[in-house]
Amino acid sequence: MMFVHFAMKNIRAYRNRSLVTLLLTTLTTALLVFATAFMDGSHQKMLQNAVEIYPGYVQVTHQDFRDQPSLDNMIFDAKAVRQVLATTPGIAAFAARFESFVLFAGAEKAVGGMLTGIEPTAEEKLSRLASSLVSGAYLADHDGNQLYMGYELARRLKVKVGDELSFVGTGADYSFAADNLLVKGLFKTGLFEFDASAAFVSKGYFDQVMAAANYASHFIVLPANPSGADLLAAELNGRLDQQYLAESWRTTMAGLVQAMLVDSIFGYLTLAVIFIVIFFVILIYTWLTVFARMREIGVLRAVGTMPGQILQMLVTESVLLAMASVVLGGLIGGALAYYFHLHPIYFSFSEEQFKQYGLAASSMPTAFAPLVILRDMAVMFVLAVGSTLYPIIKANRVSPMEAIHHV
Amino acid sequence: MLLQIRDLSNEECMIYTKVLAVVLFSVLVSGTPVGASPVDDIVKKVEDNLNGKTAFMQFTMVVQTKRSKRTMKMDSWSIGKDKSFIKITYPGKDSGITFLKVDKAMWQYVPRIEKTIKIPASMMLQSWMGSDFSNDDLVRESSISEDYRGVLVGEDEAEYFLDLFARPEAPVVWGRIRMHISKKYFLPTTVSYYDEEGVLVRVLDYLEIKSFGQRSYPTHWLMRPQAPEKTDHLTEITIDHAVFDEAIDEEYFSKRALKRFSQ
Amino acid sequence: MFRVLLRIALLSLRRRLSRSLLVIAMIAMSLWGLLFMEGLYDGMTEQVIDNAIRSDSGDLSLFAREYRLDPGLERLLAEPAEIGRFLDEDSRVRSHVSRLRQDGLIATAHYSRNAVIYGVDLGAEDRHGRLASYLDAGAYDFGDKGRGALLGARLATKMKVTVGQKIVVSAQNSANDVSALSLRVVGILKTNNMALDENAVFIEMNKARELLMVPEGVSQLSVLLYNKEKVAAVQQGLRVRFPELDVLGWDELYPALRQGREMMEIFNLITSLLVFCVAGLGIFGVMLVSVLERLREFGIMLAIGTTFREIRTMVFVESFILGFSGYGGGVLLGGLTLLYFYNFGLDLTMFSAGLDAFGMDAITYALIRPSYFFTALAAVSVATLVSVLLPLRILKKARPIEAINKI
Repeated sequence: MMFVHFAMKNIRAYRNRSLVTLLLTTLTTALLVFATAFMDGSHQKMLQNAVEIYPGYVQVTHQDFRDQPSLDNMIFDAKAVRQVLATTPGIAAFAARFESFVLFAGAEKAVGGMLTGIEPTAEEKLSRLASSLVSGAYLADHDGNQLYMGYELARRLKVKVGDELSFVGTGADYSFAADNLLVKGLFKTGLFEFDASAAFVSKGYFDQVMAAANYASHFIVLPANPSGADLLAAELNGRLDQQYLAESWRTTMAGLVQAMLVDSIFGYLTLAVIFIVIFFVILIYTWLTVFARMREIGVLRAVGTMPGQILQMLVTESVLLAMASVVLGGLIGGALAYYFHLHPIYFSFSEEQFKQYGLAASSMPTAFAPLVILRDMAVMFVLAVGSTLYPIIKANRVSPMEAIHHV
Repeated sequence: MLLQIRDLSNEECMIYTKVLAVVLFSVLVSGTPVGASPVDDIVKKVEDNLNGKTAFMQFTMVVQTKRSKRTMKMDSWSIGKDKSFIKITYPGKDSGITFLKVDKAMWQYVPRIEKTIKIPASMMLQSWMGSDFSNDDLVRESSISEDYRGVLVGEDEAEYFLDLFARPEAPVVWGRIRMHISKKYFLPTTVSYYDEEGVLVRVLDYLEIKSFGQRSYPTHWLMRPQAPEKTDHLTEITIDHAVFDEAIDEEYFSKRALKRFSQ
Repeated sequence: MFRVLLRIALLSLRRRLSRSLLVIAMIAMSLWGLLFMEGLYDGMTEQVIDNAIRSDSGDLSLFAREYRLDPGLERLLAEPAEIGRFLDEDSRVRSHVSRLRQDGLIATAHYSRNAVIYGVDLGAEDRHGRLASYLDAGAYDFGDKGRGALLGARLATKMKVTVGQKIVVSAQNSANDVSALSLRVVGILKTNNMALDENAVFIEMNKARELLMVPEGVSQLSVLLYNKEKVAAVQQGLRVRFPELDVLGWDELYPALRQGREMMEIFNLITSLLVFCVAGLGIFGVMLVSVLERLREFGIMLAIGTTFREIRTMVFVESFILGFSGYGGGVLLGGLTLLYFYNFGLDLTMFSAGLDAFGMDAITYALIRPSYFFTALAAVSVATLVSVLLPLRILKKARPIEAINKI
């Protein structure tokens, strides 16, 4: 306790040094906390967007579907899968889709694209389709030949809401499937390729036309806790029939996940460069104050204070300072992270770039994760105290006589 | 992920069954592969025997996949290799769907939507899975005598065995075709398709030769793909009725015909 | 007089050798980090852009009007030779190359897939954009009869074809018929330009003309300049000369890449500013202490006739010696590091899936631009200058002569 008392006194006595160290460490902590929050947040958001626009957190498909996405590798007993999904805990929502490649024929042009039967109400909770509406209306469960189509696809076919067009495709039984469709609404997810080729109808209707009752290309599943998608997928694989396969987005979107990792690595590399400099500065300031107090240290040694005690006193000082600044910095950084978590940062200038990577997002909320903030604070604390050790030890090695005569 | 969106939306993945009908154009009309050179005579004869000047046929096609079996019946009219008209007569759901192919352009009429659609080139070129005829079959009428060089590799009492090697320039995907030819009829009996590395890709059997007027013709065709993922697949064609070399109304080969003869 | 000042400055720095070395090390380390970061990130960004420019867009590309919205054989550059002559006369133009492009299909006995067929002149492409350098396997040669084809790496993987295997390409020709061509894969190109790697089949220009029945005319004319700064001027010239054509810069063809570069520039700027501010703070602390602890010394100097200007010069000299020694060390370290990564590159093969998603090469080669060293020099100068301003003011106010009497 005595050390703390001394240390507090000294901190006050060397106000300037304390202030600079405090300020630097605080700012650095705030910077680290915020930068981490921003990086994690933007990565999460990009992945979340990519996942939520259409593919979903967990997909259940026939095990061969990914390698051979043919009509042979569909889910042919959707009811059984549905039952498993309905009784598995930890699932917030799920829905079946039936995807089929068809030829869309407008008045002038025929264009190939993907026509998918969806369960409109359930789908609304699972993907961004409904919220990507730009004109007309989204589908309802009992819709008949009403079509919800990509904005770019509509442009290619030269149709708008209320117009009619036809599709010709192959039913699940390899029969010809064709019907006239009425454009009910247009959507724009921002993913050009998707918007230029995808269209949706209600699955009830589609099952009839495609002779696909009780069939599905896949189910998408929204875990109650999206970060537990992997666990849920594993759980589902245990419960589902062997021929089916549940995969989390981490598997289905492995490339993107890795891209984010690379980005994080470079982000931390940059932070490391900044931190090296900051800790040099803290080291230098500690150096300056410790040597400014050389005579004091010499006197203390001369009156019989043990080097260990002096060391303890000096370290206590820097621990106290570091603690205060880390807490302060953590609070500032955390507050910023929290604020921008609620009010995402909007990057209008980089929209194209995000689209290019199929990310379709330019508003970036920061991640607010108290545990990560604590981790960053701990890291900074260790670094802050660590950077003062060298000058302290160095000063302590000086003999009392040298110290007293130190100019 | 996105890659998956891309992959799913990739046409390649999806089956485009119209193709089955299209396949018939080439397989039925353009005839089965035959060769040239010392075996010229054999090949010529086979080609002539398979291709009439004109043909009217009624046939049944059964496509069997891992999980389903589907039967279709069709009527087809054709002149030479270039003009064909096909009408689906069964099942009732699909009946009345008509196809017209003139040279390399193709149209389809679907009564349910009362629309004639020109099948875009990209779609005709679409690869397709689930059916057992390759993409090569539907787009091009590869002519065996032009695209392959034949070698007689053996014979027994009943059959010649020919190896047909793709000419380097020929736009065909097969490396080699092994063809068994009946000595009695000068018609193929078994045709095996190999890729360039010598891997067997599919086998086509011509069975049950029957007489139609002056002509003998195989009436039961079996296409068996050999790829491991398609072991359960089988396409079977049975010719129920055929008339060769009688005049066919040119009317069938106009766009108007698609709707008119759909009934 | 200056020599004396220099000597005194050097001596005072030597008296606090450890401290001086610390400051120098700090500056050197921060420069090292910054240079490394800048060179590596720029290398990364420019590599991606360079890939797109070399493999496709050039600095500029000419198309028939609206070609990009609706590409087809009916929208061709009818007189590429005339454009070529015009470009040849322009001394700013380094090279140009024309391509014929059509969507089609590639097939083997086992698979078939959509592809984009490019009719090219390999020799011209290599002189133009060093296309041969992207060769991943096989040879960069269509053979005597032009029966070879170069495939994009991803396309080859998806088609499961390797060098030496036969492929059949087919496409709609100018008569709206489908024509086909049998070719042999002679090589695989990995440009990291995703559009090409995923879809491209490069074939000999004359073979393409034959296949597509296009005796003359080309789809695209790509232009490279000696000096990237002239792009806008050349573009303007071309627009005036060929008003009926679309003349587009690489950044119009790849807007996402331009944004990526802009983002990277902003990011680098912010990081550099941060680092230099902090480093400046470090120099400031040391200079402040070194001025304050020598108040008496300065008082004596002033008393024996040294002018304040001379003392100020001396302090500046000290500060600059620190700054430039650090700069020298940093440039040496950073330069050597960059030189290493310039020659050998940073191998991130372990993340190649993620890098592919961003269209980046697995090995990143650092850039070395003279501007890094000049801006760093300027920044160090400013930092050292600014950091002594306050100590000097304090010195002036402290009236050093009075300080002699202290203690």
